[in-house]
Amino acid sequence: MNGPNWLVKLRLILPASLFCLAVALIAGIALGSVKLAPVTVGKILLTKLPLVGDQLVPHWPHHMETIIWQVRLPRVILATLVGATLAVAGTAFQGLLQNPLADPYTLGVSSGAAAAAAFTIVFGVSRTGAGLLVLPVAAFLGGLGTVILVYRIAISTGRLVIHTLILAGIIVGSFMSALLMFFIALAGDGVHQILAWLMGSLAFRGWGQVWMLVLLLALGLAIILTLSRDLNLLVFGEESAQQLGSNTEHTKKLLLLAATLMTGGAVAAAGTIGFVGLVVPHVMRLLVGPDHRVLVPASAIAGGLFLVLADTAARTVLAPVELPVGVVTATLGAPFFLFILISKRHPARS
Amino acid sequence: MAVKFSVLGATFCYETFHVLEDISLTIPTGDFVGIIGPNGSGKSTLIKGLAATLAPRVGSILMDGQEFNKRSRRELAHHLAVVPQETTASFDFTVEEVVLMGRSPYLSGWQVESPEDLQAAAEAMRLTGTWDLRHRPVTHLSGGERQRVFIARALAQNTPVILLDEPTAHLDINHQVEVLNLLRRLNHQGVTVIIVFHDLNLAAQYCSQVILLHQGRVYACGSVEEIFTTDTIRTVYQTEVLVGHHPVTGVPQVTLLGKKTPPAEEQPRVHVIGGGGAAAPLLSRLVYLGYRVSAGVLNKGDTDWHLARLLGITMAEEDPFSPISKEAYRHNLSLIIKAGQVILPPIPFGSGNLLNLQVLVEAMGMGIKVSAVISSDIDLRDYTGGQAASLYNQLIENGMETFPDIQQLTFSLVPCTERSNY
Repeated sequence: MNGPNWLVKLRLILPASLFCLAVALIAGIALGSVKLAPVTVGKILLTKLPLVGDQLVPHWPHHMETIIWQVRLPRVILATLVGATLAVAGTAFQGLLQNPLADPYTLGVSSGAAAAAAFTIVFGVSRTGAGLLVLPVAAFLGGLGTVILVYRIAISTGRLVIHTLILAGIIVGSFMSALLMFFIALAGDGVHQILAWLMGSLAFRGWGQVWMLVLLLALGLAIILTLSRDLNLLVFGEESAQQLGSNTEHTKKLLLLAATLMTGGAVAAAGTIGFVGLVVPHVMRLLVGPDHRVLVPASAIAGGLFLVLADTAARTVLAPVELPVGVVTATLGAPFFLFILISKRHPARS
Repeated sequence: MAVKFSVLGATFCYETFHVLEDISLTIPTGDFVGIIGPNGSGKSTLIKGLAATLAPRVGSILMDGQEFNKRSRRELAHHLAVVPQETTASFDFTVEEVVLMGRSPYLSGWQVESPEDLQAAAEAMRLTGTWDLRHRPVTHLSGGERQRVFIARALAQNTPVILLDEPTAHLDINHQVEVLNLLRRLNHQGVTVIIVFHDLNLAAQYCSQVILLHQGRVYACGSVEEIFTTDTIRTVYQTEVLVGHHPVTGVPQVTLLGKKTPPAEEQPRVHVIGGGGAAAPLLSRLVYLGYRVSAGVLNKGDTDWHLARLLGITMAEEDPFSPISKEAYRHNLSLIIKAGQVILPPIPFGSGNLLNLQVLVEAMGMGIKVSAVISSDIDLRDYTGGQAASLYNQLIENGMETFPDIQQLTFSLVPCTERSNY
């Protein structure tokens, strides 16, 4: 055996999952109202590469390139980023809160963001020009603000106690949900807009969002991966982690910051898409084990993969009608999750 | 010997509740220290204090002459390994992964465990007998197996100090002995071992120093021989015990008599006249029944004296094979007056202990009740040429009650409130 278990696993899992993601991306680009041959998709993508690109002679209609560059590629990239961001944030929250049932929304990010988004819709912020930016920015700030409030409540005893944090999250979250309902009651025609946002959508809204997510994902991954060994130690409780030399207060605060920023970014870009942040870390833990040094990267890739597949299904299953992607993640995710859970729990464990 | 820990007037609280108050002690480097005491006496809290997990509200703890808060968590983890009392885990780490976590204090940020780290973990698993479990998730282990895994994790940490909070609580006797022998071996290699013990006899077997906690304070601190006395253990644990010696190793061993000790003021007192070995059955019977027994005058070294010492009985003593002196006589009388009632077992009388009969005449003159067991005739145990027999008959004339055996006698005594328990 060369190196510790987790490293051996990582060397196996990274290439395999990246390959699956690449296949899913090409499938996601090829499928849609206009079907494209996967090989052609591959070739068109390759033309942009500096060296290989010059070797390829275009033999496809120009509109295909337009569809790929203007519509499908940005969409699958956004889906990958949102999926990866939510899955990594979910993994971090489950580890931090020492609870496999936690998800990125447990501390109220989603309800805070939703209340803020609904607020901008009700009070009629313009839907053109600079106004387009108002909703995502408000959602981001709403989510962030809620967690800051939750954090302030939890730390008022002097130390960040996990149970208090979860409790404060649930309480503040309920309050924000009530605000959301209040805005919905006031919304009138805006109700549809609010609902559409709540269900989540990966419709491309510009490269600005993509870059913001890339930045947040990179930052979040850097922080969480650096702390992944400390996250492992937390599994046996804070005292135990401290006794193994971990500065747990520092770890908890940084993890909370990273995971919240990531979740806020994902929600601002695509609305409150559920299930990804809960199930992907959970399934990946069953598949690759609980060591966060493997689990975090594996969840990132699997989250991206899962959301690309879910969004592709959302666009194609009932075409030309597009389903809300949140509906697909749950209808696709729940049975899959059950399958993994049952097949993993019964025979294999001996 | 160098001092490892000095605890200076430390008080520990949870919220506002004081768990340990004004604790001061020193632990030398290389000691095998047991922390004992009843439930709630603050044993785990003291371990947490020594592990720097809980900071004292008042006072301080020094390790190698330096305060804890001068060091980082990481640096502390190079010095101290802690085996927790119980562990809960929400995720399925394997045994191997958990033991490898013991190497964490030596890794920085993105560093990968080196072959030496893997070697240390493997060694720790072999020493604790967890090697065969290495691929199993810790969540699927029994309590005892999991305990050994955490001991392995502490060993992998390779520290000069190991703190354990009741590490043998879930273990079978064979694993208890294995684990403790392993710790003793480490101790011989210079590791300071500090353990919370639930089992007093195991503590006596392994420790070089014992800290006895009682109601949040250090009740006593010292060698096993100093701490393990019937009186101390009985007072702290409120239970009737007999502290004897292990037949093979000779260390003190506690035997339970299966009874709670009532508060001292509720215990009826009784004094027993002793000598030779004839009082022994009566002494243990009375202690067992819950009486606060005193005895005298006993010659040091005889059977009655040995047993009385074991039972923690207050006694008037005399040197071996010496006649009863004036001082011993007076001491005996004062104990009789304190007790208010006296029992005379069927002991033999010679010139040396005739004063033990004389004292009863004086006591009866003061109105103190005297009862005698007459399972053997006084003439058969009179070696004074009639002096003892005449004193004896005088006592009977004065109203000394007599009983054919111990059983009958004990029924006639002031009833003990706790008798129903036995």
